[in-house]
Amino acid sequence: MFDYIFLVPLIPLLGFIFNGLLIGRVPRPLISLVGCLTVGVSFILSVFLFFALKSLPAEARFIEQVLFSWIPAGSFQVDVAFLLDPLSAVMILVVSGVGFLIHVYSVGYMHSDPGYGRYFAFLNLFTFSMLTLVLANNFLLMFVGWEGVGLCSYLLIGFWFEKKSASDAGKKAFIVNRIGDFGFLLGMFLIFWQVGSLHFDTVMKTAPLVFTAGGGLITAACILLFVGAIGKSAQIPLYVWLPDAMEGPTPVSALIHAATMVTAGVYMIARTHDLYLMAPDALMVVAVIGAATAFFAATIGLAQNDIKRVLAYSTVSQLGYMFLACGVASFAAGIFHLMTHAFFKALLFLGAGSVIHAMSAEQNMRKMGGLKKYLPITYPTMLVATLAIAGIPGFSGFFSKDEILWKSFSSHYGHPFLWVIGFVTAGLTAFYMFRLIYLTFHGQERMDDKTRHHLHESPRTMTVPLVILAVLSVVGGWVGMPHLFGVTNYFEHWMEPVMTPGYNASEGPLLASGGSDTGMEILLMVLSVGLVLAAIYAARYYYQKNIQAATALREKLSGLNKLLVNKYYVDEIYGAVIVRPVVYGSIFLWKVVDVVLIDGLANGLATIARDMAEVLRHMQSGQVRRYATLFVTGVLLVIAYFVFG
Amino acid sequence: MNLDTIVFLVSAVVAVFSATMMISQRNTVASVLYLILSLLAQAVLYIQLSALFLSAVLIIVYAGAIMVLFLFVVMLLNLRGNQDLGDKPSPVSRITKYLVSILLVVELVFIIRGIGFDTGTVGIMTLAADDFGSVAAVARILFTNYLYPFELTGVLLLVAIVGAVVVSKREKSYETPAGSGNMPDDRKKVEI
Amino acid sequence: MTDYVSILSIDLSLVAPELVLLAAAALILLFIPLRKMVFLAPVIAALAFILSFYLAVGQWHYSGSGFAGLVTCDSFGVMFKLIFLLASFLSLLIARRFFVIKGIDKPEFYALLLFSVIGMMVMANTVDLVVMFLGLEIMSIPLYVMAAFNRRSLESNEAGIKYFIMGAFASAFLLMGIAFIYGAAETTDFRRIVADFSYIVANYRIYLYAGTALILVGFGFKVAIVPFHTWVPDVYQGAPTPVTGFFSVAPKAAGFAVMLRIFLYGFERIELLADIFWVLAVLTMTVGNIMALRQDNVKRMLAYSSIAHAGYIMIALVVGGSEAISAAMFYLVAYTFFNIGAFAVVTILETRSGCKSDFVELAGIGKATPYLSAVLALFMFALAGFPPTVGFFGKFYLFSAAVKAGYIWLAVIGVMNSFVSVYYYLRVIKTSYMDPYEGQPAVVKLVPSIFLVLIITAVGTLGLGFFPQKLLELSQAALFAFL
Repeated sequence: MFDYIFLVPLIPLLGFIFNGLLIGRVPRPLISLVGCLTVGVSFILSVFLFFALKSLPAEARFIEQVLFSWIPAGSFQVDVAFLLDPLSAVMILVVSGVGFLIHVYSVGYMHSDPGYGRYFAFLNLFTFSMLTLVLANNFLLMFVGWEGVGLCSYLLIGFWFEKKSASDAGKKAFIVNRIGDFGFLLGMFLIFWQVGSLHFDTVMKTAPLVFTAGGGLITAACILLFVGAIGKSAQIPLYVWLPDAMEGPTPVSALIHAATMVTAGVYMIARTHDLYLMAPDALMVVAVIGAATAFFAATIGLAQNDIKRVLAYSTVSQLGYMFLACGVASFAAGIFHLMTHAFFKALLFLGAGSVIHAMSAEQNMRKMGGLKKYLPITYPTMLVATLAIAGIPGFSGFFSKDEILWKSFSSHYGHPFLWVIGFVTAGLTAFYMFRLIYLTFHGQERMDDKTRHHLHESPRTMTVPLVILAVLSVVGGWVGMPHLFGVTNYFEHWMEPVMTPGYNASEGPLLASGGSDTGMEILLMVLSVGLVLAAIYAARYYYQKNIQAATALREKLSGLNKLLVNKYYVDEIYGAVIVRPVVYGSIFLWKVVDVVLIDGLANGLATIARDMAEVLRHMQSGQVRRYATLFVTGVLLVIAYFVFG
Repeated sequence: MNLDTIVFLVSAVVAVFSATMMISQRNTVASVLYLILSLLAQAVLYIQLSALFLSAVLIIVYAGAIMVLFLFVVMLLNLRGNQDLGDKPSPVSRITKYLVSILLVVELVFIIRGIGFDTGTVGIMTLAADDFGSVAAVARILFTNYLYPFELTGVLLLVAIVGAVVVSKREKSYETPAGSGNMPDDRKKVEI
Repeated sequence: MTDYVSILSIDLSLVAPELVLLAAAALILLFIPLRKMVFLAPVIAALAFILSFYLAVGQWHYSGSGFAGLVTCDSFGVMFKLIFLLASFLSLLIARRFFVIKGIDKPEFYALLLFSVIGMMVMANTVDLVVMFLGLEIMSIPLYVMAAFNRRSLESNEAGIKYFIMGAFASAFLLMGIAFIYGAAETTDFRRIVADFSYIVANYRIYLYAGTALILVGFGFKVAIVPFHTWVPDVYQGAPTPVTGFFSVAPKAAGFAVMLRIFLYGFERIELLADIFWVLAVLTMTVGNIMALRQDNVKRMLAYSSIAHAGYIMIALVVGGSEAISAAMFYLVAYTFFNIGAFAVVTILETRSGCKSDFVELAGIGKATPYLSAVLALFMFALAGFPPTVGFFGKFYLFSAAVKAGYIWLAVIGVMNSFVSVYYYLRVIKTSYMDPYEGQPAVVKLVPSIFLVLIITAVGTLGLGFFPQKLLELSQAALFAFL
């Protein structure tokens, strides 16, 4: 069975080659068939591989398949080789599984787009790159996938390149990602320089011998790698590309946000966690940035009206959770959340796509409302996803998020403060997600008549993936129930061979398991569930029952303070004291930090480069005598350096 | 200070001075004449170094043949005085030009100053008579040890001839350029 | 002065590849009066390149020196000969069609091309400064004429004149440098200079250093090191496009062949060299990349990009050591493939009437000729250094050699520069695929010769990206025999 590992990424590549070479030469059904089937086959293969791996004893679950020796030159050995272990097995399941559903969904969503063949070609290439990334057994091959994913995101976000905003967004994603890649590449160089290998297993095994734990070099290497993860996984301060990435077709957003691309950073850290365990300072940086991103992105999510933007910021926020988990050395929890998040976030995006599809491409939630009755399948599935992301007990998101919160509190690397941030964020998440649900599906119908006339549920190819994902969003978390409930945490158990490395195995509660303080764990769980329920109630209050209150709140914040005296006065003070600073803060973050500082910085760099070019152009006057003068000046300086230096 | 030194100094000064004059003249005929003067002075220097054959070749080939060719070219082109040498450069680039040249000279002087003059062994008057620098000696080494560069020089000359022919051959439809539309724009493009 | 070398004892197999080219060039020149035989000129040249390639490969394990030590044949030189021959063969295939369409197809061109390659091979095949200089001139004079080969275009004439003036200027400095070195060492043979190195440094340090500086300037001009690069944009833009493709690869490789030899197999003991190269490398890559950002003409952009690439290769001169030098050779081979490939595509596109290779002319080719623009995109990715093209490995080896030798900042600056370069390379792709296009779709006819070039370069770019180890082993082996 394990001889077929290479087929998992290869088959989507074949799909890309087929669709890419025959753009516009084959009928659409064939394009869809090839596009979906290739990913489907690779999913089925992943399932088989998973069970084959499961049938092995735990310590033998480490399969490497060397395809060919890529660069066996001297000390520098790199193979094109794949690594199947519990971690990558989970990843290929998620990538190919969710990817497959998104492919199927795309058949319906993109049915009338002129670039249909191109779209599926890129989509397959995207899947291929991501599968290569997660299956690679060395840094270099991972980097190939890493770059491929970046390239595909550029192509897909800018898919509707006729729209200037779309091609700009594609460029932005690409440039910001390259900044991250820069860090990744340097980290890779640093590791190779010190260890002399890029092979994961060798690096992890030799690293303790080469680096001093907690030393500057290992910390630098980890932080450089993390810079790569920041870019790819949209963390502060490089998260700016992700909200703009909404310009691409909605299934692409789903693919980027759920199954591929953004999860690469989390995966990379989990893959190299042995290095991070040697660098507690780097872990702290990861945890702090993760927590900060989770919180700030959630606050920004409160202030958005575009349905896809809310989801985009929620992705950033959820990724922050995953990094928080990694930062407190609870890598299994991070991957667990990655998996559940893949289910419900894919569902949310596809649902949002379905809503947009129904609303004739309207994305503003204020112009929606009352869609519940028009979209009988989309509504319940999205509700399930929202319950999952909010963390209602029983749904998948609850288990993964709760585990992260508990680990951030109890882990050796954790801190109550990190828990507080995660806890507050959980409340904010519940609030803005239910705000989305209430604004979209409940309340008055605020769309114009023409749109209302066109409202319709999406075709079968779109709704079936929704239903499947909805089921997964519920049951997907059951594999990782906490010990608290008296059951085995299958997920953590499955990850154990990867996540408890030889190094540090003897050093106590690094990967703190639950159950050490059951009372505390129950208390925290109850607290967070309580907060979530309160937040949902608040959302319901503002956005369903009393939509005016929300309007009032908004108007008050925009400076029109006329409605201070009304019957919700007390409640409003209560809300304003907490909500207003947060909303102001989020608006500040969004308007000032995001738009002015970061965009300004990026544009500023571009301007500086342009201005430098302007100055340098004067040297290039086209006049030979000036060239000669410059030449002689160069000669002067070079001689002077040699003779006097 | 012996006679050798005096001869050396005089001819060196003449060589450098006339070379400088040559490049600073706007009148091309005067330029050519200064160049001949410079070459003659250099020939004297070669003689002082016992390179008799080289100095003869320098005079015959450069001062004789090539310079006459230059004069023909100048006369055929019918350039007179200050005409047709393009616009004057801007004051800034003129100053930079001089500044850079002077600095280069200063640097070269500094380099050469590093080695003191050893007047004792320099000059034909003090040299023992052997066949160093004679036609036979030069020929012998040229056709044995330095055969390879010598043959390469032949190739180089052939290349130069072919190149000159290609560049100067009359182009049939030179007046009506094909492909490109208007030439002033082309020039502007290049000068970006 | 009695140890003369007998002519009879000379081993001609040392210069066999050069002789083949020389014979072919002479044959072509003889054909010129016979108007009916003119069509044979490119065929003869191509055959000569192939035969010469074969002979050069045969020299791989044949190391020796002859002509009184003025010719030194080693695998280092052979490696470079192969690069020159590959580059000129590909350029020849591209050029023919272009010249026919532009109506400037003349047999002299092929003779000049052959002569130029002879010069390069002479440069790579010696350790004597005088011979190097002669090789440089034999290489350069045909280049000047080739730049001006399109006599109907003012730009082309201007390119030729500018290149000639600046080239003569640089040669003067180079010659002066050689004179200084000769003054210090009383020899131009490199091995003898190196053998007496400590004596020379002790007594004539200033001459040696000034000479080294001037030699650096002379060859730096050929590989377009900033600030000796100013001719590049004008010449590259003005010269006929296939010629530009040739310029961007072969003379550069020749310059690097000499520089790598001079500066790393002997003069590396001048401790200041690494520092000056550090500065020049950083300047070269940065200026090249920044200037390339704002160009409206693809050829001019590629001119600046070739400056930037020279900057990357210069990292090997800073770092020294066999690893860096083999990385530089690897890069030069890789660069030959993707840069000539890029120029091949630009040439084909320029055969459309009224085109001058401006960026705007690329609009819409993604739809009109999908395969051609896909190949163009491939070359751009390679130039930008994306995996899995060979461009990535070229940069990777260079940068990792720098990091290993402790030049971390140099590698950082190199990586940053290659990120900057992504912008303008992707601009080509963006323009060709995404920019709207009005009017008639471009009509581009692929002839077999150019098709062959595209196949060779694309296969080289991708194939070496998947299997780079063979080439790396080869370039390491080239040094092994030398050391």
